[in-house]
Amino acid sequence: MLHKTKVLFLVLLTVSLMLAACGGTEPAATSSAEQPKKPIKVGAIFDLTGATADVGTPYSEGIKGYVEWLNANGGVEGHRIELISADYAYKVDVAEQLYSQYVSEGVVAFMGWGTGDTEALRTKIAEDKIPFMSASYSAGLLDIQVAPYNFLIGTSYSDQAIIALRWALEDWAAKGNSDKPQIALIHHDSPFGTSPVADAKAFAEANGVTFTSLAMPRGATDYVAELAQMARFGADYVVVHTVSSPAAVLLKDARSQGFAAQFILLNWCADEIFINLAGDAAEGVIGTIPFTPPTSPVPGHKNADEFLKSKGSSLEAKGLHYTQGWWTMAVMTEGIRRTIQEGKEVNGMNLRAALETISNFDTGGVTSPITFTPTSHRGNSSLRLFKVENGKWVSLTDFISAK
Amino acid sequence: MISGIFHSSYEKDMALRRTHAQKIRLVILFLFLLAFPFIFRENRYYLTLANQVGIAIIGAIGLNILVGYTGQISLGQGGFMAVGAYTAGILTARLGMPWWASTIAACFATALVGVLFGIPSLRLKGLYLAIATLSAQVIILWIVTNWGAVTGGVEALVVPNPTLFGVRLNSDFNFYWVTWLLVLLVTIATVNLFRTHYGRAFIAIRDQDIAASVMGVDLFKYKLLAFAISSFLVGLAGALTAHYRSIVTWERFTVDVSVLYLAMIIIGGLGSVTGSFLGATFMTLLPALLTNLGRAARGTFPAIDSLLPFIQQGTFGLVIILFLIFEPEGLNKIWRNIKDYFRLWPFSY
Repeated sequence: MLHKTKVLFLVLLTVSLMLAACGGTEPAATSSAEQPKKPIKVGAIFDLTGATADVGTPYSEGIKGYVEWLNANGGVEGHRIELISADYAYKVDVAEQLYSQYVSEGVVAFMGWGTGDTEALRTKIAEDKIPFMSASYSAGLLDIQVAPYNFLIGTSYSDQAIIALRWALEDWAAKGNSDKPQIALIHHDSPFGTSPVADAKAFAEANGVTFTSLAMPRGATDYVAELAQMARFGADYVVVHTVSSPAAVLLKDARSQGFAAQFILLNWCADEIFINLAGDAAEGVIGTIPFTPPTSPVPGHKNADEFLKSKGSSLEAKGLHYTQGWWTMAVMTEGIRRTIQEGKEVNGMNLRAALETISNFDTGGVTSPITFTPTSHRGNSSLRLFKVENGKWVSLTDFISAK
Repeated sequence: MISGIFHSSYEKDMALRRTHAQKIRLVILFLFLLAFPFIFRENRYYLTLANQVGIAIIGAIGLNILVGYTGQISLGQGGFMAVGAYTAGILTARLGMPWWASTIAACFATALVGVLFGIPSLRLKGLYLAIATLSAQVIILWIVTNWGAVTGGVEALVVPNPTLFGVRLNSDFNFYWVTWLLVLLVTIATVNLFRTHYGRAFIAIRDQDIAASVMGVDLFKYKLLAFAISSFLVGLAGALTAHYRSIVTWERFTVDVSVLYLAMIIIGGLGSVTGSFLGATFMTLLPALLTNLGRAARGTFPAIDSLLPFIQQGTFGLVIILFLIFEPEGLNKIWRNIKDYFRLWPFSY
């Protein structure tokens, strides 16, 4: 017994020595010796090991890549951006810990990730006046009263669903039909999944479309029952709002069942991962993608691609979530730039005011232009549709607005 | 020279604090807890951690009453915390109830829900009960996410800031006092609970339920009572998170949380209040420690920077396994061994 205790002491001792040793190297790790101007601290949390790590990792690389590229090219107005980040494994309490740690270290802005942390931190960021951007595009975050410091870069899920419906109506008419199509919305069984349902339903009813929505059971290994339900309903178009892997299963089942409706995927399942998983079943599927995939090149991809090529990779290899992270960080940086140009101190409140002056900010075609105002933090409400052709997302339409 | 602790009277045996050293340690701990927020007043991070630890301790003590003391395995912790958090949140946000009233109401509501899901415990034991309580977790979260009219469902539930005599309570500094005062109350109540016949009945059920029943312990009554008391405290922990963060989201109460709390009490020590303290503190602080360790190590070996998050996760698992291999009875037993070592030095066996 005592022997064991001694061994444990030794283990603890080693760990604490390691801690001490590592603590000593910290100042050396941050080499800001030659920067004449004060670096600007931005906090970030990423999911690198949790449930959404498959898409969270390229997103995080995009944000880090942008900061590295920016600092290598002179920073913002001569100020370096110091990105303080860590993995939170999609755990809400860890997100809270990291948030308060970074805020006490003086970050002026915070980059979040999913619905879980974005919702959980909403009240605190409003209180601390820390502008916050994440990859959660719930329409609930658009209410300036309840979320005064949240900014949405991507098109909200509700707007995406409405754009999908709008395109379906046009497509149906273009095919020479005089009646209205039947449209089903199948979604992830969670608040994330149900987020666009009410708005999509309202839009469908206003346009005389017969509409139904159903949830995809969590943890299901096939969706044959749900497909049968949609076949009985007589769906001509199916809008899918989930993540990549269940969407791929759904499409494979649909193809093997001979289900003929046109599928339209919202952004969290319309990505390269979906194509890899679904294979041939992905062909012909349409996606509402707020951030133009690298397979459909636009000028806004250039910097990221060149940066990655200098590192021996490429934007096409990293995929559209890298682009998403890159440009989300770029918009936050634009706010910081404007704050400095106005000659104000870079703090949360001034940064929010500066972000709210951003109007028709050009992302080089990656997204439709971004506009924030003091009454609306909805970055944009239009996007382009893409279609899977030969295993690649290719551009199908010009920007379609949800308005 | 002492060779152990021996009591020569029943009063001493039943006493809450049995030795002088224990009293001194408690005084030191108490003074440390009093001084802590003043030392770290400017550092929100440490205060946030302290509050999370405090809330976790209350939840862990609650779960330990059920699992450690009464022997009824529960995987419904996350669900019960959600009941506490949502009850407190809804009563305060929608009915304008003061935070303390909604917290008390949340405790009773959770106790009631706990009793409801505890009913199968008369027939089910061990793994079967674990599955039955897992269903509580799933059912409660399903209701929370689908009953939008009441819980907010899609939207998170925003709870107004708690105030007392005009002072806002949920800043990290102020909430520290709320949390740790409640930790103190819960600790005193729980330690005393196991000096009463109720607590002894719980332990009797855990050790051998048939024997307990033969001795006249009403199994059904006491099992449900254990569920009620346990859920009461778990509900308190849930209600505290609601008032502390002033927002309630379902993603805080997933099944991961149930497993995490079970891990806390197993690593801390089943059937021990000290164990709940140690386990909750350890499981809350270890990931934070590893994250900071990883951050400090970043740049030292650039080649493994991208692997650091995985190394952290792996280390977390490894440390837990090592602790359990070296001391299956948990941190509490390690703590006792350390005390014994010094007490019996140099003539320990």
